[in-house]
Amino acid sequence: MKSYVFLFWGYLVVWVGLMAYFVVLGRKIASVARRLDSLEARTQGGDPRRTT
Amino acid sequence: MRRGYDVFMAVLFAATVALMPVALYLIFVNAPEEKVMGAVQKIFYFHVPIAAVTFLSVFVLLAGATGYLWTRRAGWDHLSIASAEVGLVFCTLVLITGPIWAKPAWGVWWTWEAKLTTTLILWLLLAGILLSRAYASAPEQGARVAAVLGVVAALDVPIVYKAVDWWRGNHPIVFGAGKTNPLAPGMLSALLVSMLVFVLLYALLLAARMRLAALEDRLAALEDAAWRSQS
Repeated sequence: MKSYVFLFWGYLVVWVGLMAYFVVLGRKIASVARRLDSLEARTQGGDPRRTT
Repeated sequence: MRRGYDVFMAVLFAATVALMPVALYLIFVNAPEEKVMGAVQKIFYFHVPIAAVTFLSVFVLLAGATGYLWTRRAGWDHLSIASAEVGLVFCTLVLITGPIWAKPAWGVWWTWEAKLTTTLILWLLLAGILLSRAYASAPEQGARVAAVLGVVAALDVPIVYKAVDWWRGNHPIVFGAGKTNPLAPGMLSALLVSMLVFVLLYALLLAARMRLAALEDRLAALEDAAWRSQS
């Protein structure tokens, strides 16, 4: 029984760790893409203000 | 270009999602339970593929770093930084799943034996690469330091692999010289499919991280141009 507890935690750590990293990466990509789109729109509209 | 990337990611994601339940079935249902260690031995089917992917990520990192120093093309730099970060995630999981198996098997979470210590050194090197990239005064300098650390990390990989043969220790040797067919057929198929799933996951995360690096580069260039035109 104790052996299954360790297996459960090992399994949980791997998948939660990888999924968390995947989600963080997805959110970062979406955030940078949004800032990029906004900056490109401003630049093309003749308002090249720095977005910070 | 963007469409090609999206299709590539969709195919990788679909292949990973399709193979994951197959791997879980082979690990938890099909593979026989090891007689001495019991259920906890099944951590092996995650721990070994994750370790193998960590090694793969170090070699990809080295290829990216040397490619960038050779050609100065941004794509190589993105490959290098992406592989270092994804490799660090996998190496962290190796260092967590190992002790979770070691506690019931050895009675201790951690011991300073050669394989564990050299793996910890690999983790520190990967973390050092990311820190050197993040805090370098110039991107060029960061890339050079990362390439040097990448060479050291790549030299550490065969040492990690052969550590038990060279210095002994508690870590089990499943594969190696004189170990012909060490696994039961059910165990081997579970390990191979699990390995494939983790390689696909690595490729998926690597491609996503490379995309992020490319977008960050483009954003920095545009912000710089906007700032120059303003001042």
